[in-house]
Amino acid sequence: MSVRESSLLARSAKAGRPSRARKTRPVSDRLAPFVLIAPAVLILVFFRLWPLLLGVNFSFTGDGERNGTAVGFDNYAELFGDPVFETALRNVGLLVLLLPVAVAIPGLLATFIFLRVPGHRLYRSVYFFPAVLSPVIVGSIFNLMLAFGGPLNQVLEAAGLGAVDWLGDSRIAIFAVVAVHVWATFGMALVVFLAGFSTLDPALLDAARTDGASLPQTIWHVIIPGLSRTIQFVFVTTMIGMLTSMFGLLYVMTSGGPGGSTYLPEYYIWIQQGQMNRPALAAAASTVLFLLMLVVGLAQIAILRRSGKED
Amino acid sequence: MRGNRIGRWIIAVPMAVLAIATVYPLLFTANAAMKTRRDYILDRLSLTDALRWDNITNAWTSAGMGRYFVNSLVVVTGAVALLLLFGSMAGFALSHLRFRGSRAVFLACLAALFVPFQVIMVPLVRTMADAGLVDTYPGLVLAYVAQFLPFTIYLMASYYSGIPRDIVDAARIDGNSTYGVYGRIMLPIGRPALISVGVLDALFCWNDVLIALLLMPSAEHRTLMVGVTSLRGQYSADIPTFASGVLIAAVPVLAVYLFFQRRIADAITAGSTKG
Repeated sequence: MSVRESSLLARSAKAGRPSRARKTRPVSDRLAPFVLIAPAVLILVFFRLWPLLLGVNFSFTGDGERNGTAVGFDNYAELFGDPVFETALRNVGLLVLLLPVAVAIPGLLATFIFLRVPGHRLYRSVYFFPAVLSPVIVGSIFNLMLAFGGPLNQVLEAAGLGAVDWLGDSRIAIFAVVAVHVWATFGMALVVFLAGFSTLDPALLDAARTDGASLPQTIWHVIIPGLSRTIQFVFVTTMIGMLTSMFGLLYVMTSGGPGGSTYLPEYYIWIQQGQMNRPALAAAASTVLFLLMLVVGLAQIAILRRSGKED
Repeated sequence: MRGNRIGRWIIAVPMAVLAIATVYPLLFTANAAMKTRRDYILDRLSLTDALRWDNITNAWTSAGMGRYFVNSLVVVTGAVALLLLFGSMAGFALSHLRFRGSRAVFLACLAALFVPFQVIMVPLVRTMADAGLVDTYPGLVLAYVAQFLPFTIYLMASYYSGIPRDIVDAARIDGNSTYGVYGRIMLPIGRPALISVGVLDALFCWNDVLIALLLMPSAEHRTLMVGVTSLRGQYSADIPTFASGVLIAAVPVLAVYLFFQRRIADAITAGSTKG
């Protein structure tokens, strides 16, 4: 895009003054680009940009009786004093720790599919299909599967292992929800990995094969260095997905419970806004989430820069 | 990589198990939807003894899934139509026309891709309320358009920038205005991209629950996904009807997936390989 644009600019600069044909174009046609872009710009300004500015501003005002008055950092102070928000942030930390697992699973599966294990074509489309289902549908299905009296516990009991309260035990519930999230989304990362594989130089793989490299050696020395960009991309998109697309699962599976143990920032924002009628506090939590996302984005850029130098 | 053959088959076993684990939960739900309440309570895992459709009809009529289905259909159709129209207009302008501020608009679209809905949702509800758009169809449609427009513009612009400039120039020499170029050349040429992006946008809108929960609070305006969440409380003792509701919400998505599988995967990876 940018390369193209700059070459276009260079071309028009060389041409000197605008051509006659361009000058004689009617006014309506000269305005055409603006007319074409106007609906998109208006919608984005009113429903994306304006709320973003409003929201940051909003987080420094009060709720309820103090509605509209400036309260400085009161909302932020309350936010970081709230044990529920603390749990939400601690769960974000847990997600960061689980991130390598969530990336490695699709990465490994993509490797196997790329190496053409028997049935690789079928696996590709089967693994991807939960990714198109709504978190609400996925959450509802796993509500059934993981219910205390549900089929999974029926199997466990039949095997003599005893039932587990997957969604009712505060130590287990967050892991159950994250596992379901990974189940629902690993196909997305898998497809991205496979697209990355198609850019991998086959000569390198052939060389590894003729040198008699084992599968782990091939992965470590050929595939991971060759796919560094794709891996970084998957890391960031998976993290963003964990931070912003688990609301449906939390809403359906645990409602943040038991005992607030499965809260994430996005669920906290929803509760404060929709249930507790504390929009200003919710706006403060939104700003914190935005900063978290910004850190993720900047970390990505920093990593890309560094690997760019290595290339 | 030596001993290929055997190694591959050993890997294929866990992969097959995983494939079954991917499909089974949905099959389980479909099976539960066919059972009677009594059968489900007695044994959750057993195969249904007959294809019973009364749970489905019950979910469709008395649980209101039929009405929610229509609500979703209306909103998604409206949103996708506007997204494709505005997205292709902007994508064409950004990729083939030179005008002041085009770079700023493109960068703003890229930046908007990284601002999640959760960050703007609180003030957005207020903006919508001020405009009298809460709990209305146009309000929800506009919210979806705003949410998925940056993605739509980005994909359309990158598709159109692959179209040679000569085609546009030739159309102009033939006497087309800029609008003519858009309507007669760019829209027909953009068909494959419009279909891919349209399918993805439709999935995003159909699957959304957060935006719909916030902006469509009243029961008769519920979208299908919000309807599914309300089923849980209502039918916690009647799992087959609950499973039927889930199935009704999932089947259109599965049909779209089976039909457009390749395009969906390609559109999703377009961002990763180009970026």
